[in-house]
Amino acid sequence: MMTHQPGPFARISAGVVALYLLLPISIIIPVSMTDQRFLSLPKEALSLQHYATVLTSPEWLASIWQSFLIAIAATAIAVIAGTLCAIGCWRLSRRSTDLIRALMLLPIIIPSIVYAIGLYRYFAGLDLLDRFMGVALAHGVTGIPYVVITVSTALAAFDPRLEQAARGMGASLMQTLRWVILPRITPGILSGGIFAFIHSWDELVIVLFIASRDVFTLPRRIWDGINENLDPAMAAVAVLLVVFTTGLLLLDLMLRRRRAE
Amino acid sequence: MSGATGHALAIERLSKRYGSFTAVADVSLAVGQGEFLTLLGPSGSGKTTILMCIAGFVAPSEGAIRLDGRDITALPPERRDFGMVFQGYALFPHMTVAENVAFPLRVRKLGAAEREAKVRAALDLVQLSAFGDRLPRQLSGGQQQRVALARALVFEPALLLLDEPLSALDKKLRAELQDELKALHRRIGRTFVNVTHDQEEALSLSDRVAILNHGKLIQQGAPAELYERPATRFVADFLGKSNFLHGTVREVFAGGFAIGAGSTRVVTAAADSPPLGSQVLLSLRPEKMALLAEGETAENSVTGIIESWSYLGAGYALNVAVPDFGTLRITLSTWNAPIAPREGLALRLGWSAAASVPVLDDAP
Repeated sequence: MMTHQPGPFARISAGVVALYLLLPISIIIPVSMTDQRFLSLPKEALSLQHYATVLTSPEWLASIWQSFLIAIAATAIAVIAGTLCAIGCWRLSRRSTDLIRALMLLPIIIPSIVYAIGLYRYFAGLDLLDRFMGVALAHGVTGIPYVVITVSTALAAFDPRLEQAARGMGASLMQTLRWVILPRITPGILSGGIFAFIHSWDELVIVLFIASRDVFTLPRRIWDGINENLDPAMAAVAVLLVVFTTGLLLLDLMLRRRRAE
Repeated sequence: MSGATGHALAIERLSKRYGSFTAVADVSLAVGQGEFLTLLGPSGSGKTTILMCIAGFVAPSEGAIRLDGRDITALPPERRDFGMVFQGYALFPHMTVAENVAFPLRVRKLGAAEREAKVRAALDLVQLSAFGDRLPRQLSGGQQQRVALARALVFEPALLLLDEPLSALDKKLRAELQDELKALHRRIGRTFVNVTHDQEEALSLSDRVAILNHGKLIQQGAPAELYERPATRFVADFLGKSNFLHGTVREVFAGGFAIGAGSTRVVTAAADSPPLGSQVLLSLRPEKMALLAEGETAENSVTGIIESWSYLGAGYALNVAVPDFGTLRITLSTWNAPIAPREGLALRLGWSAAASVPVLDDAP
């Protein structure tokens, strides 16, 4: 078979785009290792002092821990609701369910600042402002689209005759779900869960609106840090964040590859 | 799993409509205990819809389905207790062969020891005892088909439903598995309902065949009965091959009648004869005609010329142009064939009155 070799223009533009994506991220790595006391490139030597600051400061650690717990709770909400929604739409599969699936993508389509203003109004009445549960709920609901998309994709590849076969052999709906459908779409659910987790983990806009003092997530602390003082510790945190998120994405990639086998 | 008794199934005035499209129109069928019934028809004839109604996956628009007299029309599939072999088998790809076969038992919450014993017995039944730990994708098509059979039979279902069970296999394997399936049916004595578009499969496997077309039941009966006495042109054409002779009834006598077409007269045997002067259609199977030697006579004879011919190994198929009837197809055994066929060769064909059958002309 003939393969087309990319021309010089395609090669150069691909390179430029890759640089464009990577440069802003890679610049924070040297910055995080600066020996200075303000946000800058290292002058005389590389230093890990800012990492030490982050990993020993009770504020940073509290925020990391809080962000982690919120992301776990939000992922649970998004995975359960999103998976059930996708399975329901798949099973009924009418024109109305296509509409529901489209509706589920709204949190991605609507600007999060608009969404946050709406949440602020409702959460005030429900006493959910500045609460762990409030943020977890908000992140969970806005994470649903990622799960709906990945699970729907997994279900599209699922042979509906397997479900018929299971039911024909006497399996109830729950048994069919547990033993036949879920094992086949687990990679899709895990993938959606990873995206929902990342979404909550670095979400800032909603948190700015519905949390103030008690709930102080990691992105919120970075934001405040940048507004108040240009502490290089922020760069260290950013590097840690990038490493963590990249790890999650690699995990997702690995799961996908396993599924493809 | 031996000594089990089959169950009787009755389909009463079943119809299924999808919007303005009628998939099944007023079909009634009875399947006796331990019987092997095949629903045979071309694609779109409604045979699969009927099977899906029996299985419970499709709700009939009208009519009832009874098992041993009990109305099961509204029962969901998981409560019908029917085994089913799906087209393409629908084996669970994430489970081993043994887990697949154990699935119906797991659903029924059987104890581990009993489950294991039954799975072993079912795999023995289909000669796959050594394959329990394999995944379905590691098996050949024929082996997968057997796993599907074992899985459908392991819970001793009231009925076994087969949806084109052999259609995914190549011809040789299909013949092998046909024999196995038939032997299995004899051995376990359960009621089987099979769906196929393959007429050879239907004839060789079934106790009884129901022929469907455009959602209607055209004729049902034992395979030989259907082949020898087709009721309509469709049945005669779909089940094997047939020549059709058009003519007008000229004479009626005891046990038959004679038709005329142009200057040719043909006698046929029939229990009751149509009125004089009516138009009739006779079905005449290609293998029921013979070549007549010089001076030899038969109840019916025509002369013709070979238009074309083909060699089929066991037999020759000749297309012979005959005055008044167009082209007739005739098959001859190649072994000791009285002639060497060639185009343009003139010959005389003869057949008995009992060889042809009057059929209803239901061609579109």
